Amino acid sequence: MNSLTNSSPDTENLIRPGSYYGNGIPYLPIDGYPGKIIAIEGTDGVGRSTQIHLLREWLEVQGYGVIETGWTRSELMQPTIELAKASNTLNKLTFVLLYATDFADRLEKEIIPALKAGFIVLSDRYIFTAMARAGVRGVDRTWMRNLYGFAIAPHLVFYLKIDEKTLIRRVLQSRGMDFWESGMDMKLGYDIYESFRAYQRSLLREYTSMADEFGFRVLDAKRKIDVIQDELRRQIGAFLADSDAATQPASS
Amino acid sequence: MTFSLLHATDFADRLLYNIVPPLKAGMIVLADRYAYTAFARDAARGVDRRWVRELYSFAVKPDLAVYFKVPIEVSTDRLMARRVKLKFYEAGMDMGWSPNALESFRIFQGKVLDEYDRLVEEFGLSVVNAVGSITEQQRTFRKLVSQHLAIEETDEQLDEQLA
Repeated sequence: MNSLTNSSPDTENLIRPGSYYGNGIPYLPIDGYPGKIIAIEGTDGVGRSTQIHLLREWLEVQGYGVIETGWTRSELMQPTIELAKASNTLNKLTFVLLYATDFADRLEKEIIPALKAGFIVLSDRYIFTAMARAGVRGVDRTWMRNLYGFAIAPHLVFYLKIDEKTLIRRVLQSRGMDFWESGMDMKLGYDIYESFRAYQRSLLREYTSMADEFGFRVLDAKRKIDVIQDELRRQIGAFLADSDAATQPASS
Repeated sequence: MTFSLLHATDFADRLLYNIVPPLKAGMIVLADRYAYTAFARDAARGVDRRWVRELYSFAVKPDLAVYFKVPIEVSTDRLMARRVKLKFYEAGMDMGWSPNALESFRIFQGKVLDEYDRLVEEFGLSVVNAVGSITEQQRTFRKLVSQHLAIEETDEQLDEQLA
């Protein structure tokens, strides 16, 4: 069976933060919007939400408007995704496309309006989570990158990097392993522990392979919460100071 | 965008559960609308053409794709004769071109038809003039299908002879 259309790889474009990765959404031009997107990436159990919570407070005290957005949180799609996960009818393609739909909904309804209004968007996971999950399930990489060509390149992407061993201990300590986080749909084995380990290991490999391509700022997630938070604040502070200076008139 | 992606998700689900298995079993799958509908409708809504095509690159290329073509007046007349109310999205009311459903439908369908003309060339769709009577259309349609199947059969016979 031949495929309907031939995927031709995109000509390698330079990624510009705050712009679309690919051709974007033609009816929504976003050039010159004052807001910023800061994405925190990392697998389960690396402390993303704690860090985002602390960052939000810190940014708001300085007078920045902040909104948070997170994976599968779109009003339109969340119930559908939960239902599909529960009913076990998802295959790798519908899985990928449901996530993309959720992201598109949040992009149009939350992220783009916030950027236009000059907010800082703190994104708990971004498209890289989708790419990693699709990658380990063998979805074509070029196709995935084209699919997310409508996404906006974040101004900063922090990747909270953790090793397999620490990750397993943290997840077991907090809430235990669940079906999807363990990649049980991939039928790597009947044992949830072994499946979790194999699945998370290949996820980590996927994230690492994207680090250069998408300019991740890699942070060691094994360190203490406040040490990581300080590092985040230092880097974000420097970035915001630079961009605030760039938008202010030179004479003042 | 979400409209486009939701439809693609639905299509992917049907492709893997309802289309690919019968194809593997050697059956004929009759699809009432295919990815071309998405190409036409999404582009009419302002989604990037190339992006939609690449999105659907997982779709199986149909052995025969037939486009039943009617001018915009005929399709509006037919719809009006059958029922009172146009559906919101069907009329492209989400685009805000006109508060009047029929007017909006005309504008939207006009764009959709333009896209179809583009698709006929790009993907070599077979065009059936859908202005004629159902009987006429069905005859043309059957001719197209049987030509197609006949060719397949000869190929198979040839293969058998060669084997």
